[in-house]
Amino acid sequence: MDKVFIKPPVEIRCADELRLLRENDTGKKPENWFLSPKAVRTFILGGKIKTADGTVIIPRKFYGNDALVERCIITLAGNRGLMLVGEPGTAKTMLSELLSAACCGISTNTVQGTAGTTEDMIKYSWNYALLLAKGPCREALVPSPLLIGMEKGIFARFEEITRTPAEIQDSLISVMSDQILNIPELEDDGLILARPGFNIIGTANTRDKGVNEMSGALKRRFNFETVEPVKDVRLEKEIIIREANDLARSGHIDMPVNTDAAEILAVTYHELREGIDSDGIVVDKPSAVMSTAEAVSVFYQTLSHAWYYGNGTVDMKIMTQNLIGAVCKENKDDLEKLRGYFRTSVKNKSEKAGGLWKDYYATAKLLK
Amino acid sequence: MIPFDLKSPLVLYPVRHHSPVCSYHLIKTIEEYKPDIILIEGPENANHLIPSLVHEETQLPAAIYYYYKDKKKLVSDNADDYKCYYPFQYSSPEYNALVQAQKLGIEARFIDLPYCEILIHTTDGAGMRKSADKHSYTDDSMLVQSRFYEKLCEKSEVRNFEEFWEKYFETDGLYISTSEFVSLMNTYCMLVRHSTSEKILEADGTLSRENHMAYNIIEAMKSYNKVLAVTGGFHTSGLYRLIQSGKVKPIKIHKITNDNHGCYPMAYSYRAVDSLRGYSSGMMYPGFYDNAMKYMLSSENPVGVYNSGTLNLLTETAKKSAKKDIPISIADMTAAYSMMHGLAALRNTKECGMNELIDAVTSCFIKGEKTVSSSLPVDILRQLASGNAVGKIGDKQYIPPLITDFEKQCSKLKIKYTSSVPETIDVSLFTSSRGREVSKFLHRMKFLGTGFSKIVKGPDIYNNQDMSRVREEWKYQRNPEVDSSLIDHTTDGFTIEEACTNYAGKILDRYRKCSAAASVAVDCFQMGIKLGSAEQKLLDEIITADGDFFSVGNGMRNFETLFRLQNLYNFQDDSTLRYLIRCFDRLVSALPLMANAPSEKADEIINIMRSMYSIATKILPEKTEYLESALTSIAGAEEKEPAVFGAAMGILYAIDSKNSADAENAARGYLAGTVAIRKKGADYLRGLFTTSRDIVFTDSSFLEMTDQLIISMDYDDFLEILPSMRLAFSSFTPNELRIVAKTASKLHNVNENDIFMKPAVNEKLFLFGENFDRMICESLNMEGLLNE
Repeated sequence: MDKVFIKPPVEIRCADELRLLRENDTGKKPENWFLSPKAVRTFILGGKIKTADGTVIIPRKFYGNDALVERCIITLAGNRGLMLVGEPGTAKTMLSELLSAACCGISTNTVQGTAGTTEDMIKYSWNYALLLAKGPCREALVPSPLLIGMEKGIFARFEEITRTPAEIQDSLISVMSDQILNIPELEDDGLILARPGFNIIGTANTRDKGVNEMSGALKRRFNFETVEPVKDVRLEKEIIIREANDLARSGHIDMPVNTDAAEILAVTYHELREGIDSDGIVVDKPSAVMSTAEAVSVFYQTLSHAWYYGNGTVDMKIMTQNLIGAVCKENKDDLEKLRGYFRTSVKNKSEKAGGLWKDYYATAKLLK
Repeated sequence: MIPFDLKSPLVLYPVRHHSPVCSYHLIKTIEEYKPDIILIEGPENANHLIPSLVHEETQLPAAIYYYYKDKKKLVSDNADDYKCYYPFQYSSPEYNALVQAQKLGIEARFIDLPYCEILIHTTDGAGMRKSADKHSYTDDSMLVQSRFYEKLCEKSEVRNFEEFWEKYFETDGLYISTSEFVSLMNTYCMLVRHSTSEKILEADGTLSRENHMAYNIIEAMKSYNKVLAVTGGFHTSGLYRLIQSGKVKPIKIHKITNDNHGCYPMAYSYRAVDSLRGYSSGMMYPGFYDNAMKYMLSSENPVGVYNSGTLNLLTETAKKSAKKDIPISIADMTAAYSMMHGLAALRNTKECGMNELIDAVTSCFIKGEKTVSSSLPVDILRQLASGNAVGKIGDKQYIPPLITDFEKQCSKLKIKYTSSVPETIDVSLFTSSRGREVSKFLHRMKFLGTGFSKIVKGPDIYNNQDMSRVREEWKYQRNPEVDSSLIDHTTDGFTIEEACTNYAGKILDRYRKCSAAASVAVDCFQMGIKLGSAEQKLLDEIITADGDFFSVGNGMRNFETLFRLQNLYNFQDDSTLRYLIRCFDRLVSALPLMANAPSEKADEIINIMRSMYSIATKILPEKTEYLESALTSIAGAEEKEPAVFGAAMGILYAIDSKNSADAENAARGYLAGTVAIRKKGADYLRGLFTTSRDIVFTDSSFLEMTDQLIISMDYDDFLEILPSMRLAFSSFTPNELRIVAKTASKLHNVNENDIFMKPAVNEKLFLFGENFDRMICESLNMEGLLNE
C-alpha cells in the first residue's frame, strides 16, 4: 500500500506539472535552475503549455498580485535574497515553497526561525560521536540547510526570520555578501563557495515587527516584497472553497461544499479585516488575525463537524461557534467587535439578502 | 479592414491621444504621404487658435479651454454652464500633426462638432455630460471600457490596459513599420468598437460627431487631392464606414451668441493633464512620455528610447530619495536596473517601460514592509514621471476676458502683476479707499482659488479673532497656474467681480448648509460683493431648511459679526439682519431639544446659547422672551445635560435676577445626591459660571456650595471633577478670582494670600523644568531642528 502523508511538499504534490513544464521548457534558465523564469511564472500563476500530447492547463496556485510573483522570480535569479513580509495567513510560506520547488525542484531545504534558533542551525553543527572519533572532518560535519543550498546551488528557505535573535540573523550577512562560508575547523577544506543557483528566501510576519528588527546591513542584502491579503471577496470565496475541498478530500470527507456558506464566511473575514462593510458602514477590526487561511480553517472545521456529527450539511450555528473560536482567541474585546458586526452588517444583509444570511444572523445569540 | 494606402486621396490615421508612438508613425506618414491638408479631431470652433498653439514661443503643455453657457436650454432644462479642456503635449499626435502642417505650409483644421453641439447631442450622464469636476476632450475611456479588452489582458498576461498598451503599442510599436503599426491600431480599435453597443455610441454623441467629421472630410476631398484625417482610433472605423456609404448629411448647427460659447488657448501643466486622466482616460505619466517624444524627434533611431528614459528616471528617483533621507546605494540601483531588464525579458517586452521601472523601485528601494511611509521612493518616481512643467502660450492675440480684467484691476490698484517673484503688500483697511479696494481685490482672487494672493495677517472675521487689527498683510505672486485658474472661471463671468458673484451662488447651491452659507457671506463681505436677489433667496432657504443646530449656530455667529462690522467697513447690506433673525428663530425653536445633548457637545451648545443671549440683549431685544421661554423648557426637562442646564440657569438669572433662587436650588439638588450626582454638580457649576459668573458675587451661597462639593469628594473623585472645576473658574477675571479666594479663605479661616498667592508649582521643580527646556532647545538648535 502506498504511503499516505498529511501534507506532501509541493514538488511531490505537483510532480506531474513540474515534469511537464521542465520537459516543454524552452525559456532561458539561470544556471542550476530547475525551470526557466517563464515556466516558474506559469507554474505559480497558471497558464497553458503545449506538450506532445496537446495543450495542458497548469492551474493557478497563488492568488493576488501577479507582478509581485514576477518580481520575486527575477530577484531570485539575481544576487539578492528575497524577503517576503506580510500579515499572518497571506500565503508567504506557500509562495516561498512554490518558488523553491519550481526554481530548484525542492522546497524542503528550510530553516525554521524561532526564539531558540542558534548560529549552528544556520551554518553547521557536528556529529559529536564522529567528531570525537575522527576529529573535525567533512564526515563529522552536519550541514545546515544554508550550507546545503550553497553546495548544491539551490535555495535555502528561512521561515519567520524575525523570530530569530538579531545577532543570529546577522550571521547570514557574510554568506550573502561574499557567497562564502568559512569552516575554520576544517582548515584548508573549510572554505565553502556557493554554487550558482544558491539564494535565500526569507519570510517575516509584520506582527513580529520590532521583536527582532533586522539590521540595516542585512536588509540591504534582500529585496523586500509585501504580500497583502486578498482584496477581492469573490476570489477569497473561491480560495476558501478550493482549499476546503482539498482538505476535505485528503481527510476523506465526501460531502459537497456549501458555496453560500463559504461566501458568507469570505464576506465576514473580508469586512472584519478591512474595517468596512459592503454598505460603507465602519466595522471595528478585531485584533485577531483575519486571514484567508484562518477562514479556510474555520470552514474546514465546520465541514468536519457536519460530516462526523451532523447530517452532512453545513450548520450555521457550528460555523459561528468556530468563528468565535478563531476570532476571540487573544483579546476579549474581539467578541464585542464580532457582536457589533453581527448587530449591524449581518443584520442588514439578513434583511436585504435573506436566505442563509438570515440563518447566520439567527446565530448571533451564541456571541456571549 | 480599413486601407492604409498612401497613394489614395484619403488616408485615415488612427491615434491614441498623447501617445508618442502614434506621433512617431504619424510624422513618418506625413513625410511620406505629403498631404495637401490635415484634418484633425477637435471641436472646429477652435480653428482660429491653431496659430497660437504652434507659435514658436508657445511651450507645452497647453490646452484649449472650451465653455458653453446653456442659457437657451438646448442641452437641458437646468440652463447649466459647461466647460472642457483639450490638452496638448509634445507627445500628442494632434499637436505633431499641426506642427508638421505648419512646416509643410499646408492647412490644418479641426473637424469635430463645436463643443456646444457635442453637448447638445450627448445624453445626460454620458460622454462629456458625465458627472465630473473636469472634462477632457481627449478622454479615450472608450478604448478600455469593453469586455474585449479585459479578455485581451487576461490572454496576454498583463494586469491592465495601460500595461497592455505600453507593451504591445508604445514599445513594440517602435520596432515595426508604419503600415504594420496602423494595421495593429485599426484592428484593436475595430474590435473594441465592435463590442460597444450603438446605444452607447448614440448616447455619448459619438455617432453625431462622426457624422460631422465624415461630412467635413468629404467636403475637404472636394477641394484637396490628398487629405490626411487624424482621429482617435475608436472613430476611424466609424468614419471609414460612413464615408464609404456616401450617406452623410450635414448636422444642423444651432445659432448661439458669442458671449455664451467660446474657447481660449491656455497654459497647462503636466499635473493638470494627469489629473484629467481619471479612470483609464488618457496616457499616464505625461512628463515621461513627453521626454520620450523629444528623444524620438532628436534621434535618427527611436530604438532604446524607453530603456534610456527609464534609466534616467531611476537615477533621478534615487537622487531625490536620498534628499528625503532615504539613501539609495549603487548596489540598490544596480539591483533595480537588473530587475527592470529581468522583468522586461520575463514579460517579453522589447524595452523596459514604466511598469517595469515601478516594479523595480518597489522591490529594490523599499526596505521592509510596504507602507504609506516606506513607499516614498515609488511616490517620488510617480511624481517625476508625471512631470511638473507648466506651459506657456506665446501668442497673446486671444487673451481670455478674465485675464484682461485681472490685469486691468492690477494696473488700477498698482499691484505688480507682471513679475513672477513673490511680492508682499501691507493694506490699511480703514484709512484710505485704495487700501480697502486692494483688500477687496485680493480677497476676490483668493475666493476664486487662483493661488495669486495669500493673506498673512489681518482680522479673522470667520472666527471672530484678531478683530482689533486695522491692516492686512498679503503675499501675492503671478504664475501660469493663476492664469489657468482664472480661465477656469470663464463660465462664471467675464469680470473678476461677476465671476465672484456667480461662483458664490454656485457654492451656496453646492453645500446647502447654514455654516457654509455664512462663510460665503463673510467672503462676500470681505470682497465687497452683494449677493443677487436669487442668491439671497437661496440663502434664506438654506437657513430655513438646515436642521443642524450647530451649523445654524455657527452661521448665526458669523452673521452677528457681519452685522456689527457693517458701519466700520462701510458695507451696508440689509439682508444680514434678516439672516440673523432667521438663524435666531431656528435656534430658539430647537434649543429645548438640546437639554439632554451628549456631554461632548455641551461646550458648543453653551457657546451658541451665550451668542443668542448677546444678540437678544444687544440687537434683537424683542426676541428675549422667546429665548427665556426656550431656556425655561431646558430647565424643566426631565433629562438634562448638567453643563447645558447650568448655562441655561445662568442666562435665566442674567435675564431676570429673580431666577437666582432656582439656580441655587438646582445646585443644592446636585449636592444632596450620590457621588455620581455630585460629580455632575461640577459640570452644572461650569455651565452656570460660563454664562453668569456674577451670580457668585451677589450671593455667597454659590461659593459655599462649591466648597461643600469639593470637601465632600475623596481624592480620586476630586481629580475626576477637577477639569470641570478649572473650566468653571476660567471665565473669571484675575480680580474676580482674588475676590473668590478671599471668600474661600474666610470659609476655612486662613489668609487669602495663602490660597490665591500660593505658588502653583514648586520653585525647584519649576527651575528644573526651565533648565531642562533650555537644554532641549539648545540641543535641537545644534541639530538645526529648531526654526526660531
